[in-house]
Amino acid sequence: MLADDGVLFREGMARILTEAGCTVTGQAGDVASLLAQVRAAPPDVAVIDLRMPPGFAAEGIEAAAAIRASAPGVGLMLLSQYLEVHHALRLITEFDGGVGYLLKDRVSDLTAFAVDLRRVAHGDTVIDPELVSRLVARRRERDPLDDLTDRERAVLALMAQGLSNAAVAADLHLAIKTVEAHVTSIFTKLGLVQHEREHRRVLAVLTFLRA
Amino acid sequence: MDVARDGTLGRAAVGAATAVLVAGGAALGWHVGNLHNGLIAAAFTAVGLFVLRRSPRNPEGRLFVATGVAHAVMYAGRQYGLHPGPLPGASWVGWCGVWPLPLVLVLIGVTVMGFPTGRLPSRAWRPVVGVLGAVGLVLSAVSALWPVEYGRTGLVAAHPLHLPGAAAAEAFYGVARPFGYLLLQLTWVACVVVRMRQARGDEARQLRWFVYAVTVSAAVMLVGLAVWRSPVPGALTAPLIAAAAGAAILKYRLYDIDPVINRSLVFGAMAAAVTAGYAVVVTGVGRLVDGHGTLLSLAATGVVAVAFEPLRRRVQRIADRLVYGRRATPYEALARLSAHLTAPAGGLLDGICTTVADAVGAREVVLWTGPPDALRAVSVWPAASPVPDGARRLADLVAVPVRHDGGFRGALTVTKAPGEPLSAAEQRLVGDLAAQAGLVLELRATAQRLVAAGDAARRRLERDLHDGAQQRLVTVAMELGGVVRSATAAGADDVAAQASAVREQLLEATAELREMARGLHPAVLTQDGIEAATGFLADRSPLPVRLTVSVGRRLPAEAEATAYFVVSEGLTNAAKHSGATVVSVTVSLAAAGLVVEVADDGTGGAAVRPGSGLEGLMDRLAILDARLTVDSGPAGTRLRTVIPCT
Repeated sequence: MLADDGVLFREGMARILTEAGCTVTGQAGDVASLLAQVRAAPPDVAVIDLRMPPGFAAEGIEAAAAIRASAPGVGLMLLSQYLEVHHALRLITEFDGGVGYLLKDRVSDLTAFAVDLRRVAHGDTVIDPELVSRLVARRRERDPLDDLTDRERAVLALMAQGLSNAAVAADLHLAIKTVEAHVTSIFTKLGLVQHEREHRRVLAVLTFLRA
Repeated sequence: MDVARDGTLGRAAVGAATAVLVAGGAALGWHVGNLHNGLIAAAFTAVGLFVLRRSPRNPEGRLFVATGVAHAVMYAGRQYGLHPGPLPGASWVGWCGVWPLPLVLVLIGVTVMGFPTGRLPSRAWRPVVGVLGAVGLVLSAVSALWPVEYGRTGLVAAHPLHLPGAAAAEAFYGVARPFGYLLLQLTWVACVVVRMRQARGDEARQLRWFVYAVTVSAAVMLVGLAVWRSPVPGALTAPLIAAAAGAAILKYRLYDIDPVINRSLVFGAMAAAVTAGYAVVVTGVGRLVDGHGTLLSLAATGVVAVAFEPLRRRVQRIADRLVYGRRATPYEALARLSAHLTAPAGGLLDGICTTVADAVGAREVVLWTGPPDALRAVSVWPAASPVPDGARRLADLVAVPVRHDGGFRGALTVTKAPGEPLSAAEQRLVGDLAAQAGLVLELRATAQRLVAAGDAARRRLERDLHDGAQQRLVTVAMELGGVVRSATAAGADDVAAQASAVREQLLEATAELREMARGLHPAVLTQDGIEAATGFLADRSPLPVRLTVSVGRRLPAEAEATAYFVVSEGLTNAAKHSGATVVSVTVSLAAAGLVVEVADDGTGGAAVRPGSGLEGLMDRLAILDARLTVDSGPAGTRLRTVIPCT
């Protein structure tokens, strides 16, 4: 299910996702049409533009909240031209997993985008790497991240994007046990409480980075 | 509240002691030469205690009480010593009423010099007071040891001490006393004059009350001495000085003083003129033409009657000039307005109100802008007055409309003291000033419209980029992604690699465009407000940022955008020039408006240079009636502004 007020972009994305083996169940140019189609036939994932008519503000998030209320099983992937930290935090806080927030550019790397869509469909959380790196790179007066090793910082960035320990291990070519040890070390150094679920973990890490 | 701690008990004790001294002294007899001491004692103690009750710890109130108590002691002592049949111990008790006089005069001097705050006008006066104290001490010491003051006081009881050297002491005191007193009087007159010249607003009016009372008292004293050859009428006015001073300290009906003085002047001058005219005609002419008393009286009355009205008008004009010295002539008012308008921006509207207030001697002036059915107050004189909030209709205000080019731009309301309506000339002057104000309001509105239009254009451009070019580029990148995929599937690896490289370049271009669009106008500001937008700036700042934003609600777009640009410019400057280690950004909503402050701990050196970002910021702020203060020194740079917004 795709919702974007830009017809060219929407049509192009539909064609490419179909080629990549996805089934596009419907397309919508505004919030009302999106909600109606999702209610009629709930898809695995709804890809939603964050800024849509009529207000061109954060209608996408409101639409996502409405979908979550009526069809809790639908994964929600929000796309935007800009990445705003407060939007990311709102998505993680208000939605208990099954939600993603990516820059529109990410669609052009089909393989990665398809992976992200599947993760959202499975209830995972996906946060754009650029947003995470912006937060990690943020200058702090006394930076607790200075205490982390380079490897730990890499693990932290991937965790903040919503990756599970197994996914982090695959990404960094490490053993899962090693990643688990890194995660424990990071949480101890930053003074955070460990969470089993990735979603709660993303929330904790992003909140920490923003503070 | 604890009775002892709030001073009630102490005040009651002082009051009772003074009352006992004055009443007891009065019971001992009637002595015209000592009357003023009793009156000053009662009046100053009473007024001082009243001031302290209304405003405990008021330094001037304490000085009043001290003055009153000192006079009570002197009064009672002298009354005792003046009693015709000498009372037991009269020489010592009477002595207590005589020798403190020079020191008490110094105390009065300090009380006068401290008026109305109880503090000297500046530290420079402290050594002067020290000298006066020393002079008073010497004179008092001589008076305590030898009966040098006794000739003047007429005490029945003799001086208790009989030391040698009385003649030398008498000679010294005879010279030192007039010099000392002259010094004292010159000093406090100089001090009051200095204070009056420096005083503005309320303090000027407080001083006027006091000087008015002193002048009336002096006039009564002169008339009393001339007509009845008696100081009693003058002495009886001492309580008037105390009462006027007390009212002034407590700022009671402060604004009624100007008309009172004005009318007193006119009344006094006319009374003197009528008396003089009558006297000249009846006695002067009467000496030449004898035996026509009734006729001459009639003629004098006629002369006075005919001359009265033109004379009164002239006297009134002089009195106006004297009382409302700051009240300008129409030409001066207009000249002053242009001076206000060329002053640094921000106080433009306040300048209009100040000029109008000066020109007509108003008690309050309010400038309103907006359409006639929804006027809003934008500036008030005096600045301390609260700005009326909410919209008013022109029909409900007694206002002078402000027009420009035939169009209604706003209105001025002028409040004067009760019983003093705007004269026709003043109304014309306010009308002329309103015409000037119309141009100012028009220019201001134009500038505001320009900034709003500029902001709207930037917002629209950002929208167009977002929905147009950016969307198209992303779509093309996505299509290229599809090409990469199909090329890989078809085994054309070199085509896939090429397409992938093009896609990367395209995404870089998209990122640049995105930055440009954000620089034009951050969409997040329009969508989510100042808090989210400054958060983004802080995230991106190369320096650590301590961000404190508490606004709580959405504000007018131009206020939010301006605050955003202030923070953005402040962070950019701090990162570029200051060598700072941390920047504090505070955005909060106060009664006066949106307070924005950016402070770093760098080496300073920030200044508003022509063509600089700060200058642009100042222009933008000026249009919103806000002022940018730039404090830059070795301890760092601080930008601060308050953007008025409703």
